[in-house]
Amino acid sequence: MIVELLAQTSSRELLAALPASEIPEKDFLGHLSFTFAVEGISRACSHQLVRHRVASFSQQSQRYIQVKRLNEHVVTPPIITEKAAYDFASFIDVASNVYSKMVEGGVPKEDARFVLPNATETSLLMTMDGRSLMHFFGLRLCNRAQWEVREMAEEMLRQVRLAEPELFGEIGPYCVQLGKCPEGRFSCGKAAEMKARYS
Amino acid sequence: MKLRLLASTPAVETLIATAMLTTTSGASPSSLFHRLSANPTKVAETVGRIEVQHGSILEHNRLDWLLEAREGEVLKILLANRFFSVTRLGSDSWLLSANLRTILEYQVEGDEFSGLLMSSIENLIPSAYAFGRRKA
Repeated sequence: MIVELLAQTSSRELLAALPASEIPEKDFLGHLSFTFAVEGISRACSHQLVRHRVASFSQQSQRYIQVKRLNEHVVTPPIITEKAAYDFASFIDVASNVYSKMVEGGVPKEDARFVLPNATETSLLMTMDGRSLMHFFGLRLCNRAQWEVREMAEEMLRQVRLAEPELFGEIGPYCVQLGKCPEGRFSCGKAAEMKARYS
Repeated sequence: MKLRLLASTPAVETLIATAMLTTTSGASPSSLFHRLSANPTKVAETVGRIEVQHGSILEHNRLDWLLEAREGEVLKILLANRFFSVTRLGSDSWLLSANLRTILEYQVEGDEFSGLLMSSIENLIPSAYAFGRRKA
């Protein structure tokens, strides 16, 4: 997985140009945007990203781009490597063969892709405003988030902290942002540990 | 009504070209962005092929303005396009922001504000400015 913050509207530039005025931080964040290149994540992970509706995505299209050598372009969850590596690899081989055979036989890529698994790698450009990014971190840095999207969120946070330390220096999952866990009975019970980790 | 551009995402046209090529080429978005950053001719050529149906590629940016306008004028803008973000700074003073897609889609209004928006991006995003003028 590769994550790179490609561009942002700078809070310093905006604050310097603004006439002196009091703007609540939440309102101010909505006027900033952050654009990331995200590469080599699974389609399972990108499906989670698009749940964040106040964001923009430009994703590699499986209608236009043929997936070649599928077995070299899949994301394998560590638990599968540990417990089901052979079954997983066998399935990927079958999916790869069927897909290639269909494309070679004249099935359009947009239809042949129906046999591609969620493990298939994808890349995309993603832009969020600052407020949506805070919400994204609140949810996706949580211990209950899925490992791949959490790994991605960790790397995004590391990079925005370098770019905007004043805004994101103390940001973490919602238990850190709110001072209490909003997950109710599903809480991991590690709010203090998370606070120490992200503060 | 007065509009002054305060800040913008840098390299807006490079990001548009990166988004266009990310969707249809096998190259990774970060390598596309870095290659295109060194090739303004390719950026202008790629962005020159914008089709309005694929508006999402115009969303990877944000521009911020200081808008001086009466409350009723701001309400009219927000009713015409819900993708503007507005924060009140003073009685007739507003921090306004939007992405390029919103700017171009607002051009159908053909009012004073649409003209001010376009003028504010003429030098910053010349290919998109030319595209917006053609559509208008």
